[in-house]
Amino acid sequence: MVQMNTISGQDLRNMFSAATSWLEKCSSEIDALNVFPVPDGDTGTNMMLTMRATMEEAFQVPDGSATAVANAMAKGALMGARGSSGVILSQVWYGIAEEVKGKELLTTADFADALDRAAQMAYKGITNPVEGTMLTVMREAAAAAKSSVKRGVKDIISVLSTTVEAAKNAVANTPRLLKVLREAGVVDAGGQGTYTILEGALRYLRGEMELLRLRKPQIIISELPFTPQTSPIATVDEVPYGYCTGFILKGENLDPEVIKKRLKHKGKSLIVVGDESAVRIHIHTLDPGIILHEATKFGTMHQVNIRNIDEQRRDFLELQKEKAPVTDAAIVAVALGDGLREVFTSLGAAVVINGDQTMNPSTKDILQAVESTPAEKVIILPNNKNITLTAEQVKSLTQKQVKIVPSKTIPQGIAALLSFDYEADFETNIQIMENAIVAVRTIEITRAIRSTSFNGLKIKRKQPVGLLDGDLVAVDDTEAGVIDKLLTRLDMLKTEVVTIYYGEVVEQAAAEQIRDSIITKYPNVQVELVQGGQPHYSYIISVE
Amino acid sequence: MPVKIITDSVSDIPPAIADELGIAIVPLLVRFGEETYLDGVDITTDEFYEKLRKSSTLPSTSVPPLEIFVRTYNRLAQETDEILVITLSSKLSGLYNAAIQSIALMERKCRIEVIDSRCAVMAQGFVVIKAARAARDGASLEEIREMVFKDLPRVEIRAAFDTLEYLRRGGRIGRAQALLGSMLKVNPIVTLKDGIVEPAGRARSRSKAIDQFYNFVAGYTNIEEVAVEGAACPNDVDLLVRRLGAIFPEERIYRSRTTPVIGTHTGPGLILVAVLGDK
Repeated sequence: MVQMNTISGQDLRNMFSAATSWLEKCSSEIDALNVFPVPDGDTGTNMMLTMRATMEEAFQVPDGSATAVANAMAKGALMGARGSSGVILSQVWYGIAEEVKGKELLTTADFADALDRAAQMAYKGITNPVEGTMLTVMREAAAAAKSSVKRGVKDIISVLSTTVEAAKNAVANTPRLLKVLREAGVVDAGGQGTYTILEGALRYLRGEMELLRLRKPQIIISELPFTPQTSPIATVDEVPYGYCTGFILKGENLDPEVIKKRLKHKGKSLIVVGDESAVRIHIHTLDPGIILHEATKFGTMHQVNIRNIDEQRRDFLELQKEKAPVTDAAIVAVALGDGLREVFTSLGAAVVINGDQTMNPSTKDILQAVESTPAEKVIILPNNKNITLTAEQVKSLTQKQVKIVPSKTIPQGIAALLSFDYEADFETNIQIMENAIVAVRTIEITRAIRSTSFNGLKIKRKQPVGLLDGDLVAVDDTEAGVIDKLLTRLDMLKTEVVTIYYGEVVEQAAAEQIRDSIITKYPNVQVELVQGGQPHYSYIISVE
Repeated sequence: MPVKIITDSVSDIPPAIADELGIAIVPLLVRFGEETYLDGVDITTDEFYEKLRKSSTLPSTSVPPLEIFVRTYNRLAQETDEILVITLSSKLSGLYNAAIQSIALMERKCRIEVIDSRCAVMAQGFVVIKAARAARDGASLEEIREMVFKDLPRVEIRAAFDTLEYLRRGGRIGRAQALLGSMLKVNPIVTLKDGIVEPAGRARSRSKAIDQFYNFVAGYTNIEEVAVEGAACPNDVDLLVRRLGAIFPEERIYRSRTTPVIGTHTGPGLILVAVLGDK
């Protein structure tokens, strides 16, 4: 593995620009985690926009020294910071810029020191730092970097690996430290964002370009079991939220500490960061007027942004509600075999009951499935003639409105499920699904259990036989032969899609051979092969 | 002085119609890595899909800087006292807010109203075109606004995708995430409801999706306008237009191409139908 002992300004630029794109990929997921300090669902977006502004400035400097790039990033972050998380992030860059001052290249030790300084600056910017947030994550990440250097590690990539690992653990631990996170069953959004940025930078240094491009950052799952409150998460704070007020103050000889003291008791979540010429202020207050009035005494105000937090919170709750699945009508299907069950589930069936030709589910099984769905209206796909009757029994046993779409085969059931129209009402959907059943042909392949003569066919015991829509119509020495005979009986010119579900006893290679021969014979048809895992039929084939 | 109408590039209004009716179109931004383009201005749809195929970074989109709105407002304020802005769904983009925020920044004041269409593409386009025609014929801002609010519930779309991956990645999938993760290859079909993406169904093939579109349009009792749009699939668009010709005069069907901003969130396989009418 390549060792890397120094970082240039150019490296700094590239690694964090990769990190910004990496963050961008999950910013909406991070938004959804956001419950602290205000559950307004914008942390991911804010961090992403802040990083963008940071990097835009970084690309403005022609000079490739670490100092120049870090300074530009700090400036970009300060001017472009959005929201609390963005302001803290700008403080991080400010800390890094301070530490690397005067350096052309950063050694591994310089880099660890810069992270450490960044963590300190992040804490300093906040009047009442809270643990279990991005501050904690930043601190633990920096501590890991420092101790790694102390142990004598010279390679920046391995130091950063340790740092990222520590950040990840710190994120996973945030619900232990912060009650609102525990109650919402999430990790801290800002912490997650910080981890994702560091992770993106690491992946860039490791040269994992393909991965950065194609994959998505992992959102860390809360380690603790989800302990929901009785009240919704939005009531984490009894105090009214008031207004989220943010602006940049420009002037001469500004002292962030003095400004911080002046504003401290005028609101919550106060953040004051910057230097003597420009300071960014962010506060949640009931009276933005007082804040602005105080601020004018220090200098001129820019980019003033006042938002009503209660409104933001409402929008956020609305956003959460919109993400909830639609469960007006639920679908219960009967199938046997892991693959087939998964097909039904992946296409939106709420419950899949185990059952087939030889193993019919009981009325009770079906009733339980119907009752277990949250929907008041339930559509049952029995996928077998014998099960339809059992399903009919359920109607009189439940308060729910139950309809049976009498699918006789698995392909019919899948076609019905696929045709489900989310916009249509219950009755219309029953109609649409019943129509879909008629439009699909089903081939089932099994073996004769004894020698017999049927429909003019001479069948020997254990010989492969084929059913077309439930009727035994073909026999051959091989399964491929039966399938071929059955397909020639169908109008393959009008066929668009053939789906082969192969059973549990069939080898994948054998199934692939059958697929390939169908493709060769009918080149205009789209052929799909799925491991159905069903016990009874070696092949179930849908022809549409 | 006639009311001036402004909309955004996502409305997909054919340029000739926008010119004829004097509709001002504010472009959104498309970004490939470090390069930023004005939607439909600096980058054509063809160039966009060419880049989408070749670029190592995936595109992203954003609201235009307020400056573009402010400039448009200032320019139109020299010709009129009243401006109506009709934007794409505020649930899909911050453009609606940008339009409002920019009002405070304009130099020369005039009356500006901003309406959130809660839709996009030609569904939004139909409402904008009608508003612009009414404005040209001398309707007042109040009259136009009233008409717009009557028409907005009358527009609806159906859109079929090759994959919902683009929509998911862009964070705009809404409830249509119910259509994700299918074990079989399907064409997911979505609609827009109250400004967000909602699932409408699935089709096993492109031609089945086109069947569903046909049935959807055929379900209307009164059709005022129909548009068929594709991202980069002109043959499917032709096919659907010809089929719809059986229920609506083919020459009156708008054909449009969705802009790069829409393409960023849908991928090249998008085909959609938009209707203004009554069911």
